[in-house]
Amino acid sequence: MLRTKKWRFAILAILPTLAIFAWVRMFPIWETLRLSLHRWDILSRDKPFIGLENFRELFQDQLFLNALVNTTIIAFGVLFVTIPAALVIAALIYHRTRSRFAGFYETTVFIPHIVSLVPAAMAWKWIFDANLGPLNAVLEFFGIPGQAWLFDPVLSVICIIILCSWQALGYAVLIYLVGFKNLPHTLFEAAKLDGASGIQRFFFISVPLLRPITLYVSVVTLISGFNVYAQAFVLASDSQGAPGRLVRVLVLDMLENAFRNYRVGYAASEAVILLCIVLVLTLVQFGLLREKWNR
Amino acid sequence: MADVQIRDVHKAYGEVETIKGVSVDAPDGQFVVLVGPSGCGKSTLLRMIAGLEEIDRGTISIGGRVINQVEPKNRDIAMVFQNYALYPHMTVAVNMAFSLRLARTPKAEIARRVAEAARILGLTEYLERYPKQLSGGQRQRVAMGRAIVRNPQVYLFDEPLSNLDAKLRVQMRAELKDIHARLKTTTLYVTHDQIEAMTMANTIVVMRDGIIEQAGAPLELYDHPANTFVGSFIGSPAMNLIEGHCDGQNGAIKLDGEAVLRHGVHGVPAGPVICGIRPEHLAIVDAESDGIDVVVTTLEPTGSDTLVQARLGDQIIAAQLRERITAQPGDTIRLGSAPENTHLFDAKSERRIAASD
Repeated sequence: MLRTKKWRFAILAILPTLAIFAWVRMFPIWETLRLSLHRWDILSRDKPFIGLENFRELFQDQLFLNALVNTTIIAFGVLFVTIPAALVIAALIYHRTRSRFAGFYETTVFIPHIVSLVPAAMAWKWIFDANLGPLNAVLEFFGIPGQAWLFDPVLSVICIIILCSWQALGYAVLIYLVGFKNLPHTLFEAAKLDGASGIQRFFFISVPLLRPITLYVSVVTLISGFNVYAQAFVLASDSQGAPGRLVRVLVLDMLENAFRNYRVGYAASEAVILLCIVLVLTLVQFGLLREKWNR
Repeated sequence: MADVQIRDVHKAYGEVETIKGVSVDAPDGQFVVLVGPSGCGKSTLLRMIAGLEEIDRGTISIGGRVINQVEPKNRDIAMVFQNYALYPHMTVAVNMAFSLRLARTPKAEIARRVAEAARILGLTEYLERYPKQLSGGQRQRVAMGRAIVRNPQVYLFDEPLSNLDAKLRVQMRAELKDIHARLKTTTLYVTHDQIEAMTMANTIVVMRDGIIEQAGAPLELYDHPANTFVGSFIGSPAMNLIEGHCDGQNGAIKLDGEAVLRHGVHGVPAGPVICGIRPEHLAIVDAESDGIDVVVTTLEPTGSDTLVQARLGDQIIAAQLRERITAQPGDTIRLGSAPENTHLFDAKSERRIAASD
């Protein structure tokens, strides 16, 4: 009797939270899944069910495939730049915490994460500008010819990776710093006595022990990488003509399909593909970075 | 193997001096225990030997070589930490082999040494396990195995048994002693547990507030404590310290004006003294004998003996009596001790006046 009462109370207690979660989280996902199987132009009341037609069309759509490739390259590019860079920077900051400038370093690295996307992207756009940008000025100072950073399809992607990594770095460093601070100090002392140099301690002790942090940071970075939009839009918009031809990314393609071409069902199917990719990659990451020793 | 010589070592953290000119000798193959209450500087001293703390002043030598400026890895020492400091992501075998791998020891030699250490410590069947899959005692053994495989000149132990339960601690104490007897490597061992110190050491170094209060063989410290601190720190239950007045003539110590205790020290000048009597040296005596009348507050019969807590004025006196007694809390009993078991300390300096025998 008491058990039943307890259960009833527990369910009643979590019901409001569950309801809000269902409304703001589950319903949109369900609705997206449902829409992806329908054709809808936003305005009409008709939403005819078309099965997997949207998906079939998607894989013949060159723009979508182009966006998928670009987004994947950007997401993995950001991941492969951010994780090692964040680990090294966090290690440097952590091992120099006695320095008077430790707070300054932490703040400097974290600031890009809290700066609004668009102004930051505008600043980087100026840096990468072929004629007025300081990057080309510096290159030319050293006798290296300037590049059309935002006009070349390959260079544009690299520019977006740099911008996204610059933004993601602050958060990743912060999380890694928390990880470093939680590593038992005696392990490093033991390793020192065992004869490990600073670099060996980093690779043999810090990196493996920070695996859970690496898992979290890489999942977050990869997901935000696949959701890249504003950076590509601002950075490459001049060269895009109708926006998003040169560095087309998935979210941009989705938005265009939904609100410019009025093909909401089609855009929803793109969102479903994005969801599946992120889900699969997250599972893969969990598999790869799981701690054998902690089970 | 080598001896360790610590000469006039100082260490300060900012304004606070934690080690104030300590000198210790650990002869080759000896088991030296640094013991003292928390914050006395014993762990700091050990860490200075290990190279984990810098030495402000003085010298530390291992095998005649001053190692003040030598990197920890080049000091040829191995340390076992209080929390074991095992690498959680490495198996037992890899944990033990880590230092040898870093030193680029041939694989066959690593395997041989790990197998040998595992055999000594009874870890052979656990070599492929991770530390998390081991019990506290097994982890402790792995930590020791990690030290043994290096075959160092000196072992340093920083309270290695304090995370174990009482039963396991007793077992590990015996194992450690056995391993030391087999390897005969110079060992410096830090603990705050005087039982550990008494049972394992060749030499005990008692520290307080960054200085050495007394160093010597365990029974020497027990029988002839240099001051009241050592007297009360070594031995369990702690020594009773009773303030009194020596009459300077017939070896009597007066408490509150009455001659109640006798000591065996000749030529003690008249004046205030602190009288130290170990609980195990007290016994119930009859009303005609010299002794102190105390009011029993608690009785703890353990079977083999009875621990009595009793009140003498404002002071609590402990007595470990061999016999079973019929007294109850609130009863008055008379306790006395043989004169040769009464230690005398100067009331001001708290230093031992003379040996009681």
